[in-house]
Amino acid sequence: QGHEFRFGPCRVEGVALPSLWEAFRSLKDTVQAQDNITSIRLLRREVLQNVSDTESCHLIHDLLKFYLNTVFKNYHHKIAESNMLPSFSTLANNFVFIVSKLQPSQKNEMLSVSDRARRRFLMFKRAFKQLEIEAALTKAFGEVDILLTWMGRFY
Amino acid sequence: HMAEDSPELLQHVKFQSSNFENILTWDGKPESIPGTVYSVEYKMYGEPEWLAKVGCQQITQKSCNLTMETGNLTELYYARVTAISSGGWSATKMTERFNSLQHTTIKPPDVTCVPQVRSIQMIVHPTPTPVHTTDGHQLTLEEIFQDLFYRLELHVNHTYQMHLGGKQREFEFSGLTPDTEFLGSIVISVPTWSKESAPYVCRVKTLPDRTWT
Amino acid sequence: EVAALPAPQNLSVHSTNMKHLLMWSPVVLAEETVYYSVEYQGEYESLYTSHIWIPSKWCSLTEGPECDVSDDITATVPYNLRVRAILGSQTSAWSILEEPFNRNSTILTLPGMKVSKDGFHLVIELEDLGPQFEFLVVYWRKELVTKEHDKVVRRGGIPVPLETMEPGAPYCVKAQALVKAIGRNSAFSQEECVEVQGEALPLM
Repeated sequence: QGHEFRFGPCRVEGVALPSLWEAFRSLKDTVQAQDNITSIRLLRREVLQNVSDTESCHLIHDLLKFYLNTVFKNYHHKIAESNMLPSFSTLANNFVFIVSKLQPSQKNEMLSVSDRARRRFLMFKRAFKQLEIEAALTKAFGEVDILLTWMGRFY
Repeated sequence: HMAEDSPELLQHVKFQSSNFENILTWDGKPESIPGTVYSVEYKMYGEPEWLAKVGCQQITQKSCNLTMETGNLTELYYARVTAISSGGWSATKMTERFNSLQHTTIKPPDVTCVPQVRSIQMIVHPTPTPVHTTDGHQLTLEEIFQDLFYRLELHVNHTYQMHLGGKQREFEFSGLTPDTEFLGSIVISVPTWSKESAPYVCRVKTLPDRTWT
Repeated sequence: EVAALPAPQNLSVHSTNMKHLLMWSPVVLAEETVYYSVEYQGEYESLYTSHIWIPSKWCSLTEGPECDVSDDITATVPYNLRVRAILGSQTSAWSILEEPFNRNSTILTLPGMKVSKDGFHLVIELEDLGPQFEFLVVYWRKELVTKEHDKVVRRGGIPVPLETMEPGAPYCVKAQALVKAIGRNSAFSQEECVEVQGEALPLM
């Protein structure tokens, strides 16, 4: 057991999931307390439930890239103001590592799989875009525990 | 007389969860205001409506069992309490976002320690939880946490302990001295969630060796 | 005019068994105590927020010319490290480690182990190398070399019984360290053998 993700065909060794949880736990209450919209969830059931193994590599790749390029990048100033930078850095650098190891298959016969994964990701992205940007960044960052819980099923 | 907000009526509204038994608790301050009543609502994160918890409306005690209402492991929840004092003051406070998988603590395991002449068996019993699958099957801790394992120690003397561990439920410390007392301690560990129970402790004496008597 | 405080030189990282030590040549000033400040940035920071450096957990103000950055390096990606000298209100320029450091380059030594017997028990105690280490232990009865057993021991520093031995037959043990956080393991240690006195039972 331990330290290896298997997102279908994509294997990622060298990440200790408990250390990501530990990093997020030290941020969680502060971040989630800033999210007052309790009636909207971005990573909804329709995005993450019943994801097949083959889809999972495509989906996690899209989600982590979005978190790195959009959520973390634009939420960083809020983190920098507090003393949460080390924990944030642990999360962000492990996401960079995971993305660097993921090679979602681009083969033709996998088109339907990647399409399904893409639709799930776009569902999440649309919900994100419907919110005002600061609220969306805070909510998405506060939902990293939902993401880690889902990733735990492939650990 | 409109109820006005007085936050000090209500404090520390939070979930206390142990083996997936999720209890909402709060403090009322100052204690000296008799006749304050409390009403509980809950909701799933991402849903618009708050739902009133039947059985916890206008109550005087400061806890409410929300195990059944917050039992889905993949969902997150909020709860909130409204306190109304006899003088018409009111206060409403909400919990932090709650998920039992993340927040529950693990109770010590249920173990039977069986002494033999030169060994001690330790049989760990499965731990049922209030969590059920959609087809009604009641889940144990072992079924919920895939990487759950047990860690056992047998204190032989002040300096020496024996250690065993694993996912199986039956363990045996062997090669022991007959007619001697030992202290056994067993914990449940769930590495992925960094959870560990307090130990179950058993004090047990190996049987006398009567083979030559 | 006050001479500029020289920056530390010759930065290097010495990493063994996932303990990463940043070292540098001290700035020596007569009758003065020079302090140092260490900061780091992972690949994320250098890609997305390159102006951001994070103070090291243990060495935001340290006296010795070295810093244990093990708690700062928390992902298997390249990290930039930098140091500057501090004397009173004066600070030197930053010196940056020439090559970024990745923890997967750590040197994994053979795990220290103590093989003993407790009554008829074959017992092993492995060196405590910290929470990131597990150990693969392989043990066998000497005459039955083909019948090896193996066991993963989750942590060092505690005696773990492996097997109940037959008297008069030597049993041998070897072990390797596993570091899953970087997906690597050490070589196997030398084998060590012990025997319980008495007459060996004939092999079935």
